[in-house]
Amino acid sequence: MKPETYSTDYTMWRLLAWCGPIFMTVFFFMWGVFAGNLPPAGADLDAAQITAHYLNNGMAIRIGMSVCMVGSAFYMAWGCAVSKVMRRIEGPDGILSNLEMMGATITCAPLLVACGIWLTASIEAPQLPPAIIHMMYWLGWMIIDIAYMVTTFQIFAVGIVFLRDQREKPLMPAWISWWGFVTCAAFFPVSLIPFFKTGPFAFHGLFNFWIAFFTWYIWVTAVSFNIIRAISRLQQEDGAASPSAAQQRAGVLITG
Amino acid sequence: MATAAARLQQARRLPGVEGVWVFIAADMAMFGLLFVSFMLERQKNLALFEHSRHTLDANFGGINTLILLTSSWFVVLAVDAAKRNRVQRVAPCLAAAMICGFAFTVSKALEYADKLRSGISMLTNDFYMYYFALTGIHLLHVAAGCVVLAVLWKRARAGTYNSAQCVGLECGASYWHMVDLLWILLFPLLYLLR
Repeated sequence: MKPETYSTDYTMWRLLAWCGPIFMTVFFFMWGVFAGNLPPAGADLDAAQITAHYLNNGMAIRIGMSVCMVGSAFYMAWGCAVSKVMRRIEGPDGILSNLEMMGATITCAPLLVACGIWLTASIEAPQLPPAIIHMMYWLGWMIIDIAYMVTTFQIFAVGIVFLRDQREKPLMPAWISWWGFVTCAAFFPVSLIPFFKTGPFAFHGLFNFWIAFFTWYIWVTAVSFNIIRAISRLQQEDGAASPSAAQQRAGVLITG
Repeated sequence: MATAAARLQQARRLPGVEGVWVFIAADMAMFGLLFVSFMLERQKNLALFEHSRHTLDANFGGINTLILLTSSWFVVLAVDAAKRNRVQRVAPCLAAAMICGFAFTVSKALEYADKLRSGISMLTNDFYMYYFALTGIHLLHVAAGCVVLAVLWKRARAGTYNSAQCVGLECGASYWHMVDLLWILLFPLLYLLR
């Protein structure tokens, strides 16, 4: 039995890391701009107004939500790349890289379900009573928002691991970890959305929409671009540590 | 000359790490937006806000202010003790600060219970929405701060902090002072502003 050395496919790591910016672009334009969620229709609208919103913007919402249901999986793929880089810092027995990957994966679930509900509402708006459309609109918001704790665990894990990086120049700038903690703090007031239809704590309000969503958007964008850079640095570190190992990692599979 | 410059640089450095100041600045900016939002809403409905404000017990607010100021003082003593290499004094000061944090939590719980017993909740009107939400978010910060102080206390008991090694302690202290400062802004805004 001869030893086998498997290559580290950094190109694949990079491809998955680029899924973060792809996810952000898809969600910003298709969910936010195209489907009319920037700003959202609003928690204070009654059933007739929400139904009118779906009737007037039916096709845009239908296309936007369909694309977002596909696009949300890119968050999961991005989470795998982040997790791989984290594992290089915390070692093979580290648990926070697992937590990050689980957090990224499960974050897709509320995104998928909420977009699916809004998609169905846009299709069925002409047939269903306004009260049902109103209920579906609210259901989507409750699911996409109050599942924040899953993403909070992901962000927390990323922050802790990159702050523990002992490199002279860490793979991730410290401010991004701290911005992650800010994002976690901004998420908790989202628990107030069931109680308010107006004001900063409604799901379309100053705090629970504009601050909570955009702190997270900034975090994902900042982590994405620094993870792409970190992968290049890890590849260089491998090459510097052992040129022959780097050659093997670059694609030579020794099977003998 | 070089030594003097180095001393000056050391004297001017931020306590803790730069990242904690990113957190503090962003967190305070978020609270700042909420304060502005409160003031704008207050302008729209001055009579309601003024009437509702009178139902708050300023004694509770005052006691809570004293509790948090005292806790901040204990944290200052802890950092000072570490910097003077009085390692044994650090942990008791942190424990005292933590007890103040718990006392604040108990006091807030009593205040909330009193309001709820009187039939007042955050759904009663816009003033109480801000009152419960702002003080509730602040209370979450206090709870997180107590966890931070507990971690620092445990490390201080192991003799971790001294003049050469107190960055972690400074980070925790900076956060705790921010929690204190936020309350100092919240107290007049909700309880005293006429």
